Amino acid sequence: MDLRHRNNVNVVGNGSSTLVFSHGFGCNQAMWNYLLPHFVERFRVVLYDLVGAGLSDPAAYDKAKYATLDGYAADLNEIIDGFASGPVILVGHSVSAMIGTLADRAAPGRIAAHVMIGPSPSYIDADDYVGGFKPEDIQSLLDTLDSNYLGWSSTMAPVIMGAPGQPALSEELTNSFCRTEPEIAKQFARVTFLSDNRADIGGLTTPTLILQSTDDLIAPVCVGEYLHRVLPHSRYCLIDNVGHCPHMSAAAACAAAMDSFLMPWTAAHDQ
Amino acid sequence: MTSDTLPDPLALFDGAACALAVSAEDGTLLRVNQCFSDWVGMTADELHGRRFQDLLTMGGRIFHQTHLAPLMQVQGRVTEVKLDLRHRDGHTVTVLLNAIKRDHPDGVRHELALFGTTDRDKYERELLNARKLAEALLLEKTAAETALQQAQAELNEAYIKAKRRALFAEQMVAIVSHDLKNPLTAIKMASDFLARGERTAKETQLIGHIGQSSERAQRMIADLLDFTQARVGVGIAVTPAALDLHDVTRRAVDELRVAFPRATLVHHTVGPADTCLDGDRLQQIIGNLVANSVAYGDLQHPITITSRLGDDGASLSVHNHGPVIADALMSVLFEPMTRGTDQHTDVRSVGLGLFIVREIAKAHGGDVVVSSQVGSGTMFTACFQAQH
Repeated sequence: MDLRHRNNVNVVGNGSSTLVFSHGFGCNQAMWNYLLPHFVERFRVVLYDLVGAGLSDPAAYDKAKYATLDGYAADLNEIIDGFASGPVILVGHSVSAMIGTLADRAAPGRIAAHVMIGPSPSYIDADDYVGGFKPEDIQSLLDTLDSNYLGWSSTMAPVIMGAPGQPALSEELTNSFCRTEPEIAKQFARVTFLSDNRADIGGLTTPTLILQSTDDLIAPVCVGEYLHRVLPHSRYCLIDNVGHCPHMSAAAACAAAMDSFLMPWTAAHDQ
Repeated sequence: MTSDTLPDPLALFDGAACALAVSAEDGTLLRVNQCFSDWVGMTADELHGRRFQDLLTMGGRIFHQTHLAPLMQVQGRVTEVKLDLRHRDGHTVTVLLNAIKRDHPDGVRHELALFGTTDRDKYERELLNARKLAEALLLEKTAAETALQQAQAELNEAYIKAKRRALFAEQMVAIVSHDLKNPLTAIKMASDFLARGERTAKETQLIGHIGQSSERAQRMIADLLDFTQARVGVGIAVTPAALDLHDVTRRAVDELRVAFPRATLVHHTVGPADTCLDGDRLQQIIGNLVANSVAYGDLQHPITITSRLGDDGASLSVHNHGPVIADALMSVLFEPMTRGTDQHTDVRSVGLGLFIVREIAKAHGGDVVVSSQVGSGTMFTACFQAQH
């Protein structure tokens, strides 16, 4: 199987350690473009699109395989084996933080550290756990996805291509940004927002940096704090940011926090 | 064009035929027009400082976070995004959003234009629901077809299995009947031999029993062999030859008088006598039909055998004054293993007699019919096409 084609894998930068960037629900690897330049001098960087998103191979989407996050975790481990060298630090946004957790559990020791941006182990409120959502909220999201079915499929491309002021983004990446086959988008929304990975992540001993936005509807502060409590080797960093994508809207603050956390793996390279 | 004077820009903004708003990058509303206020049921002052995304339904808010906000940052604009605004009183207003990111003197701003699309949305939802229904029905149809195919395959398999089992059973009957023939012939011959010597009355009676019983067993086996030949093999074989129909019938009736001394057998002839049929098989038919009449008929009255030859072929009828055959029995009368009442246990057979009668008639290009009525009794008639 051609992983490069399946997951639209791109490798950039140089370094003795590898950063693997894994995007979240809704977009593709282009969301890393604000953070990427900061790291390419010191790290080998592997970027990829989750199957079903971006420029991944549409034919690779297998409904049964991707009915749980384990299918994505298996892909991630294959990508790490295929493209990473040296210690691997997984930088996962949103649902990809959980995909990274499952990949770590499936192949312990392969991932040296996690950087989790806006992570949530479970979105639905349950007993004494506050995830921030009720089951009907997820149905409401599916309705919204349904409503934006036509708009996102064909009319988006010319608008995106005419995007002003972003010369850094290559055309092929922007073309597919946020565009997903509607049925895949809905299944991925269900898998993302109905997953409960609290049992998987609790007690994970891999060093982890949690980047928590101060104001994030999808992953509220209480969820970030919960993760900090259940991850024994975690560092918790609050980023002053409104929204779910601090790596885009507060890239500098994220980069600074990551620099500090990544010191052990950067030092090895500097020597 | 340029000669037309535009109203004051503020009046244009505030009175526009769509909802307009300016927000900070994080969605905090800085300016809204009247239409925007109307759609959410809040004055500009009440809206000041609130975030645009907080006025949406929960699905819209998630969508804003996962799609809209990143898109605004990456490409600087979005078009035709359908969202639901929540009015203060709880109802929703469906809107299409166009937004653009622009540098203002005070910083980056998002300029939003929202068009009401509630009616269109209803129509689109109807289309979407129709599509979902069609897809669900298609799925259901496919599932039903799969189930049907599976049921058919199972039925087919069961049928093949049953057929194989039936064939095996019939073959076994054929083999056993064939193998029983020889020992029975030996018993019959031995009893005939013993009957020739000087015997006491008791011995003669016992030897008679042996002879009659083995003859009965031989008849049953002959029936079984014919049955298996009809079912397993190519059908009952007939060998037509020129014969005298009435004479053959008379001889058969004479023999049956010996076999059934308690019954009164009467033979009638109708029409000419010369035809071409299998004589042995005719005797078999008469034997089976008369045995049937003895078993189920009223022996206080005679059993009448009629041999008839006409332009349309030959026929043999056997009539008795027995009780009416029940309707339920009529439809299966000629099927194998069918028996009448069990009252005459001494004449019980395996229930193949009428089946064989019909097979023989069919082999002659004819058939057998029965009529049974209160008062007139029961009559079986086997018809044959004369063979040439």
